[in-house]
Amino acid sequence: MRRRYTSVLIILLLLSASSNAGDWAPVTPAGRQWSFPADHRSHPEYKTEWWYLTGQLEAADDPGRRFGYQFTFFRVGLLPERPNLDSLWAAGGLIMGHASITDAANGKHWFSEVLWRDSPLFGGFGGASGAEIATCMGPAGTSAWWSLDAEGDGFRIRMEDRRQEMALELLVTAEKPMVFQGPGGVSRKGENPGAASYYYSFTRMATRGAISSGGASLEVNGASWMDREFFSSELTGSQTGWDWFSIQLEDGRELMLYQLRNSDGTPAFGRGTMIPAQGDPVYLEMSKDWELKATGNWESPETGISYPSGWELIMDDQGGPGTLRLTIAPIIPNQENVSRRSGLAYWEGAVTVHPAGADPGSPPVGRGYAELTGYGENNRPPV
Amino acid sequence: MIAYLQRTLASRLKHGRSLTLLAVLGVALGVASVFSIQLLNRNSLAAFSGSVQSLSGDADLSVTGRTPTLPETFYPKVLATAGVSEAWPIYRIDVAVEGHPGLFLEVAGLDLFAAGRLPLVSGDGAGDGNAHGTDALAAFLYRPGWVAVSPALAEEMGWSVGDTVTVSSGSRLADLHIGALVDFRRHTPLAPRKLAVMDIAQAQSLLGRRGELHQVDLKIDKGRDLEEMRRLLTAALGPAVQVLTPEQREQNAAGLLSAFRLNLTALSLISLFVGVFLVYGSVRATLVRRRAEFGLIRSLGGTRSQVLALILGEAGALGLLGAIIGVPLGWLAARLNMGLVSGTLTNIYLLEEIERLRVPADLVVLALLIGVGGALAGALQPSLDMARKDTRTLLSAFTLHQRADRLAPRMAFTALAVGVAALAFYGFYGRTVRWGGFSLGLMILVAFPLLTPLIIRLVCRPIRVRRLGLAYSARNLLLRLGTSSVAVAALGIAVCMLVGVTLLIGSFRATLETWIAGYVRADIYVSTKSWTRAGREAFLTPGLVEELTTLPGVRSSALLRRFPVMSGERKIMLSGISFDLENSDYILPLKSGDSREALRRVRDEDATIITEPLALKTGLGPGDTLTITGPDGEVHFTIAGVSRDYSTESGMAYFSMQTVDRFFGPGQVNSVGLYLKKGLAPDEAADGLRARYEQLPLEVRSSRDIRDGVLQLFDQTFAVTRLLQVMALLTAACGIALSLLVQARERISELALYRCLGAGRGQIFRLFLGEGLAAGLLGTLLGAAGGVLLALILIYVINPAYFGWTIQPHWPWPALLRQAAGIMAAALAASVYPALRGSRTPARELSREDL
Repeated sequence: MRRRYTSVLIILLLLSASSNAGDWAPVTPAGRQWSFPADHRSHPEYKTEWWYLTGQLEAADDPGRRFGYQFTFFRVGLLPERPNLDSLWAAGGLIMGHASITDAANGKHWFSEVLWRDSPLFGGFGGASGAEIATCMGPAGTSAWWSLDAEGDGFRIRMEDRRQEMALELLVTAEKPMVFQGPGGVSRKGENPGAASYYYSFTRMATRGAISSGGASLEVNGASWMDREFFSSELTGSQTGWDWFSIQLEDGRELMLYQLRNSDGTPAFGRGTMIPAQGDPVYLEMSKDWELKATGNWESPETGISYPSGWELIMDDQGGPGTLRLTIAPIIPNQENVSRRSGLAYWEGAVTVHPAGADPGSPPVGRGYAELTGYGENNRPPV
Repeated sequence: MIAYLQRTLASRLKHGRSLTLLAVLGVALGVASVFSIQLLNRNSLAAFSGSVQSLSGDADLSVTGRTPTLPETFYPKVLATAGVSEAWPIYRIDVAVEGHPGLFLEVAGLDLFAAGRLPLVSGDGAGDGNAHGTDALAAFLYRPGWVAVSPALAEEMGWSVGDTVTVSSGSRLADLHIGALVDFRRHTPLAPRKLAVMDIAQAQSLLGRRGELHQVDLKIDKGRDLEEMRRLLTAALGPAVQVLTPEQREQNAAGLLSAFRLNLTALSLISLFVGVFLVYGSVRATLVRRRAEFGLIRSLGGTRSQVLALILGEAGALGLLGAIIGVPLGWLAARLNMGLVSGTLTNIYLLEEIERLRVPADLVVLALLIGVGGALAGALQPSLDMARKDTRTLLSAFTLHQRADRLAPRMAFTALAVGVAALAFYGFYGRTVRWGGFSLGLMILVAFPLLTPLIIRLVCRPIRVRRLGLAYSARNLLLRLGTSSVAVAALGIAVCMLVGVTLLIGSFRATLETWIAGYVRADIYVSTKSWTRAGREAFLTPGLVEELTTLPGVRSSALLRRFPVMSGERKIMLSGISFDLENSDYILPLKSGDSREALRRVRDEDATIITEPLALKTGLGPGDTLTITGPDGEVHFTIAGVSRDYSTESGMAYFSMQTVDRFFGPGQVNSVGLYLKKGLAPDEAADGLRARYEQLPLEVRSSRDIRDGVLQLFDQTFAVTRLLQVMALLTAACGIALSLLVQARERISELALYRCLGAGRGQIFRLFLGEGLAAGLLGTLLGAAGGVLLALILIYVINPAYFGWTIQPHWPWPALLRQAAGIMAAALAASVYPALRGSRTPARELSREDL
């Protein structure tokens, strides 16, 4: 008989409900005093924080062989203060790692995750100095730890999951300067000014290293995108999830878009950023500056959740002539991450971008990643 | 034939009521004994496996320390091992609930983030998954003392979610906040109701110690070989841990209890044996009465095998009836004795207590089979005998008694042969086969009944009868040897068991008393409630120990730190003692040699003193080396002496506290012995200490309290055997009643003749009473002789093989005399009804011929 699993998600949701949001530092509309590289490190006074790397890679000796990858560390604050208990298990929060690899050639998607107490027994978020930003024990059956370290102008990530024969070891180096995703680094998530996060990105990072997915290690090169966000409350009452896109266009521009959805599926709030090849970013508003339409659906055979799959993006071509019409398509349909530990499922996958109406087989004009959360029943992210 | 069987059975039940009733009762009591003991045995193991299943039911393997705890860093190590798919840490601690003496919670500290398997239910009893239930759960992390208890316990104690319960762990007090209910019985019906769950951080911090775990449960990847993973983990984790499947852990518990269970089983089988005797006697008696009936059947064309089947069929039906009565009777007996056995399990074997008595279906079937089988076994010989006779013999009168008289020497010779065979078996295999000693016990049980006819003959033949009195009654035993010897033998066996076990227990108790007097030397002992329960990590804080030992009035002190360790594959207790050799009379009573010299070597040379059960089980002695697995692998110690010890059956090794700290890591003290300055009364000083530490969960006991406590525990442990003794005696009393009833029937003509010759009813009544008394007396004497032999075998052969304690023989005369008086009273009581029947025989019965 299969035993009932009390989802950590429920615990997290209830913890967020029961611990007073006022105990955590709020994101203020005026922004904050930024300080780099110190702000690359953790901010334990905020409830939630993540280091989110996504990218598209090609095999060093076979450029036609393409991969997508995701590597994320989440800091999940449970209590503003660590409980006053004489035990290494006493933790004020959790450290969660998610990693995935998508192999376009054979249509496969691997996902691995870790979830530990934020305790020296299992890892944690490095101090104010030193290379270590976040590190934790690998999943069960794996001796190697997962880590995110500062290295030169970039970052080095390492993860392994021995059971799935899956590993990433990549060095990502910024090719373009860091960008604030919103004025002063404040990214609004709703009409209420308190619903916001601090959000900045490295939108184009040269990437090299090695990956393994179900077999031997492979040397790879490619481009990554790194998001940094921290906040104490994000989704507001009626919002159930979001669709998020990061796109690197061949012409040297990058585009970030997100829309938060109401429980009925309609877009509730959206923002975006267009980063020109050179110069300052342009901040965009959903509906006013851009509009996104799903053109297809994909139903997960594992969870039964139906996700949008394929979009048409119509937007004001900032700095360009007229209107930009783009088709966004996943490189393979199944890039769902089913997190057993948190009880959440979401779609996080590599996409290609073509001009609307172009032959899907033609070379894309851009590549990127899409993230779809909060689809299906009881799947609202706990943020 | 079957229709005939049904008819006769019905008519037997109607007419031969008392005879049949007694046979059925005999079977019922025998079955009840066996059933109750097997029920208790089975449930005592089930209690342990319920506890294992509740927490580790999902696990493929469990990692436990060979020392009591393992460093928590082993948890990441287990997780990092290839092939492990999930792992859960467990920190367990027993805590005493303040204000409820005797109530302990078995707290399991779990990683509540990883342990999503908890069957949590809300405070108001609704199903899980609702907001109320899980909202309470969310607080496990930040609400100090958050604990989930079982709905059964909450109901029993009147607790509900939101209540606060004060508990003690060692000398520390903590307030636990009931945050949720957790119903392990949803997936483990035998889950202990005292199992409570809290987050591991809280358990370590509030009740235990940081940095330690008791167990890591794990699951392995599908397709991995369990045994290979066990080896892999054992190799990866080193010698300080053992990796076992939940089944292996249950087997270990079964091994621990095997001696305890075997002995109870043996005793219950004796009760059954007595019952079988009764069936034998009853069948014989009825067959004699019905021989003409069988003769008729045969002359009408019935075959021998039909007659045999008829008789055995009747016996089987009686057996079944007896078993049907015996099963509920046995359940009742088990139910009444559950508390006692439960106490033994927790106090002596450190296992879970039995909370619910479950009746497995296979045990009921077994009990029914035993009842029927026992009855058939009892009926087999007489019915074969009957079937063999030809029709003519059956139809003519004959008596069984002459035959028994003739057979007596031959039976005695068989008894002798059995004795020689048993002795020879023991001589050859006694040292190599552990149960060899039981062959000697069995010999007594077989040989004594066989000797009975000859002994009755020897005793009763010289008796000269002058009037219708007691001598006449005694002489009658001889005349009716066939029935009387069965009754006397059955009583003899029951008495044999009674006396044997009484002698064993009496001797054991006396030895224990002597030992306590030598061992308990300090005036006052201070420990904690949770220590007296299980001795599992119940510590006195260092500050408190310091304060106690420097109190005014304290001359010197002895500290004790005790925990289980592994010596090879054997789990033993390790005791670290700090003692003042010069200024106190601290000693450990040794089997041989000088205690103070051995203690000096323990103090100065890292030597050890091991207890007698350990010495016997391992074959180690002074000068040998004891190997124990420490945190860093095996450590070797020289044995300085072997001490008498009755505190643990698993064996114990004493070390100096410094040795223990050095080889097993520093730890805290469980118990402090205080030696008072001259002139101070221990009992008063103990009262003073209790008053002084009223706020702390301490157990302050004077040496006298300790003595009383140990003896009380002892009596409790052996109380179950009393149940069996009573059962056997009741059965034997039935045997006497049966034998006399048979006579009352068989001798109707004779009795009628006496009445014609002027004998009064009173005289005949006394005649029967006298015969009952004579049978009782003979049975008692025979049984007493056998009992002494049995006691010697129990003390010198079976006890060393299974427990390993030295027991000095001791004669508990008052108890024995009381029992003798009880037996005679029972014999007398059993004779009353047959005597009444006999005395009512009217003179006109003289004309009957059908006997």
